[in-house]
Amino acid sequence: MILKKRTMETRFADLPTLQSSVVAALVLFVITTIAFIWLVVVYFKRKRAGSPDDSNLYIDCAYFCEIGKRPSQQDSVYISDLTDYRKYGITALVADGMGGMEYGGEISEKVADFVEGMCPMSFFATEQNADELRKLSNQLYDQYKLSGGSTLAMVHITGNFMNYYSVGDSDIILIREGKPTILNPRQNYMALLIKSLCRNNKQTVTAYSNPKARSLIDFMGNQNPRVIYTKKPIRIFDGDKIIVSSDGLTDAVALRNIHHYLKDSASATALELKRAVASRKRPKQDNYTAIVFTVKRSFM
Amino acid sequence: MIENYILMHKGGQEEYNDNVFVNYSSALTMAILYIPAESDFSVADEASVSALVQGSSKLRFRDLSESIYPILTNLKNYMLIRIDDKHIEIERHGKVYAYIVQNGELKMLPNGMTSLEDEDRVICCTWEFLRCLNDIAILSDAVVSESAEEWMDNMVCRISDKNRLSEGNLTAVTMIVRSGD
Repeated sequence: MILKKRTMETRFADLPTLQSSVVAALVLFVITTIAFIWLVVVYFKRKRAGSPDDSNLYIDCAYFCEIGKRPSQQDSVYISDLTDYRKYGITALVADGMGGMEYGGEISEKVADFVEGMCPMSFFATEQNADELRKLSNQLYDQYKLSGGSTLAMVHITGNFMNYYSVGDSDIILIREGKPTILNPRQNYMALLIKSLCRNNKQTVTAYSNPKARSLIDFMGNQNPRVIYTKKPIRIFDGDKIIVSSDGLTDAVALRNIHHYLKDSASATALELKRAVASRKRPKQDNYTAIVFTVKRSFM
Repeated sequence: MIENYILMHKGGQEEYNDNVFVNYSSALTMAILYIPAESDFSVADEASVSALVQGSSKLRFRDLSESIYPILTNLKNYMLIRIDDKHIEIERHGKVYAYIVQNGELKMLPNGMTSLEDEDRVICCTWEFLRCLNDIAILSDAVVSESAEEWMDNMVCRISDKNRLSEGNLTAVTMIVRSGD
């Protein structure tokens, strides 16, 4: 009996403590829930609109470089060291040696080696960087006398901005909200034909049937080529995907179909694209190379 | 100084129906008219707009707008622009659009005045021109181009890839602010 009474007393004595604990837990629960909802709302708002201070983006990167049905690999790739990403960003290059020319592969390798030597490169000195590339092309011209050449497609990403450089007709593709856009103008004869027809107020059907339309008018190894570069960087957003590729990829997989192969991670996207080209079983498949980036926001 | 390039291409149509009127004075004043083929907009009306734009050097933008409005009220698709090194002022009606490249993005210009800086790039164009392009393409072509003409040529290549310049009239103006010149 005594024991029972003591227990009862204890229960009555604990009641106020119990009540305050429940209240405290409830308050904590409400605060946590509100904080969670706020975080989710902020995340989706930023994801939709892009934050004006979207500096905490990170880059996921993967690549492939395949020989296709060609006897040798003439594409070259360079991706800068990621350890200093916060400080210098990431630089990535695809150089596509011109097929049918003796030194295409050798020149594309030299372009990749030269870019490696330029890194870490200044993000803001795009004009100087382009000038360095033009000087390299002049050196290659002196050495090879047009018996070879290579394209150049290079991106430099820092924080939430991207610069790009381009010579020739390799592709730099930005995919935003599932829609792919080739960023760099192609330096081929077709562009000249279209310009000329447009000046004369004509339609441009004939430009596309011209057998020389795809011939390059500028390439690395040419004398004083025009190096296309961004005078001001392009903003990138959470969810963007960037593909730097040789035309071996875009000739096999049409731009309008690329969205079928996009996955969340860069490596999965690269794998899907590589499989897509291989599955086409094109008898004259060119070397195909691509570097894939996915841009994501980090909460950290 | 405002470097500019004007595209007036008939596309796949018999004639070029749109029009662009320009007054090159200390500030560049422009009227871009988007005139669909079936429109009953008359030559006399075009002449009136042309005369107003040509004589607009000393007119305030608002006064120009008020003078032109009664003539173009049936047209519905037009834009008035006044631009110098420091500002751009636009008045947009219907399917004529203006965009500016700012901070690595392409942004639509609102009606009214917007301040400009050296090397800012602006495009004004009709819907027929715009519909074959997207924001990223316009932006990318803008930031790599050395001149307003090159910017236009790059965009025309993209339109050509889509329709071989075989559809409607193409009308657009690209502008680059060159404060140092």
